[in-house]
Formats: sequence, structure tokens, C-alpha cells
Amino acid sequence: MSTALVELQGVTKIYRLGEVEVPALREVDLRVEPGDFLALMGPSGSGKSTLLHILGLLDRPSAGKVLWEGEDVTRLNGGRLAELRGRRIGFVFQMFNLVPNLTALENVELPLVFLGVSLRERRKRAEEALVRLGLGERLHHRPSQLSGGQQQRVALARALITDPALLIADEPTGNLDTTTGREILTIFSALNKQGRTIVLATHDPEAAEVAKARIRLRDGRIMGGTP
Amino acid sequence: MILDLFRLSLRNIRHRGLRSWLTVIGILIGTAAVVALISIGQGLQRAISSRVEQIVGYNTILITSRGLNLGQRIRLDIEAIRAIPGVRNAVAVRTETAYVEGPGGKGFLAVLGYDPAMDEFVAEMNLTVSAGRALAGRGEVLLGSRTARALGAQVGDEVTIEGRKFQVVGILQALRAGGFATGGLSMADLLVIPLPELRELFPGPELVQYAVVRLSERADMAAVSERIRDHLRAVGERNASLTDFEDLTRNIQSVISGVQAFLAGIAGIALLVGGVGVMNTMYTAVLERTREIGILKAVGAKDTHVLLLFLFESGLMGLGGGALGLLIGFGVAWAATAIVSRVFQAQGAFSPVLSMALVLGALFFSFLVGAIAGIFPAYRAARLPPVDALRYE
Ligand SMILES: Nc1ncnc2c1ncn2[C@@H]1O[C@H](COP(=O)(O)OP(=O)(O)OP(=O)(O)O)[C@@H](O)[C@H]1O
Ligand SMILES: [Mg+2]
Repeated sequence: MSTALVELQGVTKIYRLGEVEVPALREVDLRVEPGDFLALMGPSGSGKSTLLHILGLLDRPSAGKVLWEGEDVTRLNGGRLAELRGRRIGFVFQMFNLVPNLTALENVELPLVFLGVSLRERRKRAEEALVRLGLGERLHHRPSQLSGGQQQRVALARALITDPALLIADEPTGNLDTTTGREILTIFSALNKQGRTIVLATHDPEAAEVAKARIRLRDGRIMGGTP
Repeated sequence: MILDLFRLSLRNIRHRGLRSWLTVIGILIGTAAVVALISIGQGLQRAISSRVEQIVGYNTILITSRGLNLGQRIRLDIEAIRAIPGVRNAVAVRTETAYVEGPGGKGFLAVLGYDPAMDEFVAEMNLTVSAGRALAGRGEVLLGSRTARALGAQVGDEVTIEGRKFQVVGILQALRAGGFATGGLSMADLLVIPLPELRELFPGPELVQYAVVRLSERADMAAVSERIRDHLRAVGERNASLTDFEDLTRNIQSVISGVQAFLAGIAGIALLVGGVGVMNTMYTAVLERTREIGILKAVGAKDTHVLLLFLFESGLMGLGGGALGLLIGFGVAWAATAIVSRVFQAQGAFSPVLSMALVLGALFFSFLVGAIAGIFPAYRAARLPPVDALRYE
């Protein structure tokens, strides 16, 4: 068996709200192979976001293991995890999550800042990424001056600027109208065709349709996939 | 990357606009107060040093009656003091009140005995003879400008002092008020005649207001002082005291330093209160930007990056407030000393001193106060788990 890009082994996540324990994930096993395009589906509260956060090393499981390219990263310190996130993972969120004070260009540059890439090099790469996504005219606009679809494309450019091994998207079309959502999905499938590994969570059947495989979650458990 | 974090911090400060200004005001006022007080204090100290230097010089001993009471006369023989080894020059100031008649007026006036040894001191006091010439021989008198007016006398006229006739050879002009050297009398109110003639007019034991002794370059101040005390004892003078100006200025300076440190300390409290303002703003900023912190962490920022980002932000606000406070404080000091100098008619006009140490110290301290105020908020920001920050509404 070849090594997966990411592998979850018996991952459980329990949130504690005072006395009450809320299990968000229960003993989840999952392999993400290079080139995969997975859609996580399931009702609200089923644990999709939680699963993505653990895959993306933004959160730690309460039990179980996370392997990144075969290496157990479950107990890695925060600094090493941040580095892995910066180099290997790109995130796209439902709420776009752009930094409001920064222009489109600066937002896209941001991951490169923490990798220590020079300003000149950063500018060049960020500009190219934005132009490729059709935002060449919007480089110096702030998020508040952009439409939802434009903001999501800026977020996508930011996620891709480091050429990450894994692109994680949490309901990327959730805040967009159908047409704009479709545009974003087209970009996703094109990216996957170029070999980019993608895991996205969605309620949108259309979005799920674009993926190569679908995984259903309910109450923090994987109920099975539809190929 | 540090530079980039710096830029981001700066951007965030600018973005907060008015709120940043309001935050910075506390630091600004604190720094301004400290800088104003210290620069005025240093200006004062410098003015006193140079004034003392100018009037008497450091290698100088003043002999007066106890308590610097110039009205109380003392007995001494200035020639004997001048003969003490280590004494380069010594003069005694003796004035007597005499009945004087001039062409246009008469009255009781103060007459000072002139001794060529005084020339050195007179030169240092910026005295000039505005009309006529200096004293050259017996039977000559110099008039202070006010005295000349009172007597209605001009150069070439004759005045009578205690019945003896004197020829007016010059009018004295004090370029700067120099009350000290004449025992509280202004030069403008005096008549000056040769000391031997003053002695003839007022015979008897010589009583002087005070004497100034100047030491030669390598003289031992303590040894010379002892010899002077011996002399005073020998002539039966028990009421005299010696002041050496090194002591005097040192005492004055240390009093000023003490007062200054006390005031600056109080002003420093304002600076600390300013720090509390910065801390408050930073806590608010961390709350407001929780989501942004999550974003930064998601794209690869480490805890230290977030920490530095917020520390720079608070430090820069401190520095900004400090820099403005420095300018304003110095401006206030300038204005204050200008007003004081004007009100007190330039009797020892002085200006505040902005030393390099003060500039750097003020900037460093305000930065430090800002940075320290930011430590707890920044630490809290840095420690936020990325998911919690991202989920924060
Ligand atoms: N920080 C938290 N503290 C407590 N409970 C949490 C926390 N985050 C998530 N949960 C709980 O964990 C469960 C899974 O949440 P999660 O956000 O993963 O669901 P989801 O499938 O993404 O839902 P949605 O489709 O609404 O986004 C939910 O019951 C949620 O209430
Ligand atoms: Mg979710």
C-alpha cells in the first residue's frame, strides 16, 4: 500500500461544553491519496468542518492519529504544524476569511510572508495568481470593495500561492449565488485535473457532483462513500 | 519577515485611526511632561554653571560675613591675603556712603574704592566705560550712569566727595546687571575712586563687604582656605566665612537634580497610565481581530509571528506617542523658559537643553512602555488555538 497524503486513524474529537461532552467525530478512518478530489457531505453538525480542521492540522484529535505523508504529526508542536500548514496546505472557507485591512494582492502574499519569501518575489507570484483567476483589475482593492465571488477567488489565489499538496475547502460555495458558485466549482475541477488534491465539505449537491468521490458523515461517523 | 510584520503592525495602527491617536495621547502627555521637566532642569543647571563660571570661576573663594550677609562688614587685609602662596589675585570690595556734590545735584551716595587688581573681575563682568576713560590716577572719579544723572555731571565736570574735589573721567555702563560683584549695589548707582583716596577719606580700620580670592592654576584649595582662615583669626575677624564655588554649584546642582527627578518621576506616572491605555486598546484589538489571528495561523503564522505582530503594534504606538511627546515637551520647555526669561528681564536668561541621552531615553522608554503594555494581549493572541480563532464570530 502506498503512503497516503493524509491519513486519519481512529480519529475522535470531543468538545467539552462545561459538564457536557459533545462528540464531533467518532473513530474516523480516512485516507486522502494524492490526486483525490473528495466531497464531505452530511447534515449540519455532522462533523464536516471538524474533520477538515483535523486534516488541515488546524486542530488536534482527542484520540487517534493523523499521518501526513506517513509521518505521525499528532503530537507535533504548534510551530511545526504552522510550518506544515504554511507549506503544504491551502484553505478556502465559506466566509472567505480575507484580512480586511489588506488589499487583494497583500492577502494573497500573506502565506509567503511567513515562509520568508522576499517582497519582490511575493508581489510577482501573487500578481500572477490573481491574474490567472481573472482578478488582474482588482489587485489593490480591499475585501470590502469586492463581490463575494471575487473575494472567494482571492481566497483561492491565496490558498494556491504556496503550491500546496492539499487544498481544503469548507463550503466554498455556501455564501455565493448559483452562478458564482458554479464558476468557483469549475476552477476546482480544473485544479484537480491538473493534479491538485482537494477535500471539500459541502451541502450543495452540485458541488458534490464535481468531486471524484463523496463521503457521507452523520453524527461524527463516516456512513460510507459513493464513488 | 520581521520587517513585514512591522509593516503589518503599522498598517493596523493606521487603520484604527482616531482610536490610535486617543490611545497614544497618554504616552504623549507622559513623555512630553518628562521631557519638558528634564530639559528645563538641564538648561537651568547649565545656566547656573556657566553663570558661576562667568562671575567668579571655579578656582575662586569668596570671603563674606557668615550667611552671605553683605550688609555686615568684615575686617581683613587684602594685601596680606594676596601674599598667601597659591593666591593669584585677591580683591576686597569696600564701599562707603559719602556726601557728594555735583554740578546739578547732591546727596549721600555709595563710593567704591578701585584697586587695579579688580580689572580682571571687571572685565569678566562685561562692564564698560561708555563715555570717557577708565581711572588712571588720583583725583579721578568714574560715575555710574544713574549717579551721573542724579548729580547732573558729565565727563570733564568736577564733583566733590566729602569735601575733596574729583574730576569725572568716565561714565560706567553695566552691560549686564551685576549686583553680586558690588555687594548688592548696581554699578549704575556708584561712584568709583581710587582705593587709596577712599582710605584717606575714611581712615581707620579697613572694613569690607566681601573679598574675592582667585587661586593660581595648581593651588590647593583646602590649603589656601586654611591660610585665609589663619589670617582672619590673626586680625580678630570671627564673623567671616569662606565659600568655595565648586561646593556651592555642586550643592545647587544636586538640589535641582533632586527636584527634577521628583517631578520627572511624577510625570513618569502619567507615562505608565498611558501604558495602561495602550494595554486596553491592545486587548480590544486582539478580541476584534480574533478571526484574523485564525486566518494568519491557517496560512502558516507561528505563535511567535502573532506575538511579534501585536508587540510591534503596541511598541510602535508607544514610540509614536513618545516621539510626538518629545517634540511637544521640548516645545513647551522652550515656550516656558522664553516666558520666564521675559518676565524676569533676562536676569540669567536660559534655554532648555535637549541632550542626546534625553532624546534616546525618551524614545526608548516610550517604546518600552508600549511594548510592555502589549505583552499580555499579544501573548493571549499568540496562544489562541487556530480553530477557535477561526470559528470566533
Ligand atoms: N468549539 C466547539 N465547541 C463545542 N462544540 C463544537 C465546537 N465546534 C463544533 N462543535 C460541535 O461539533 C459538532 C460538529 O460540528 P461541525 O462544525 O464539524 O459540523 P459541520 O458538519 O461542519 O456543520 P455545518 O454543516 O453546520 O457546518 C457540532 O455538534 C458542533 O456543535
Ligand atoms: Mg461546517
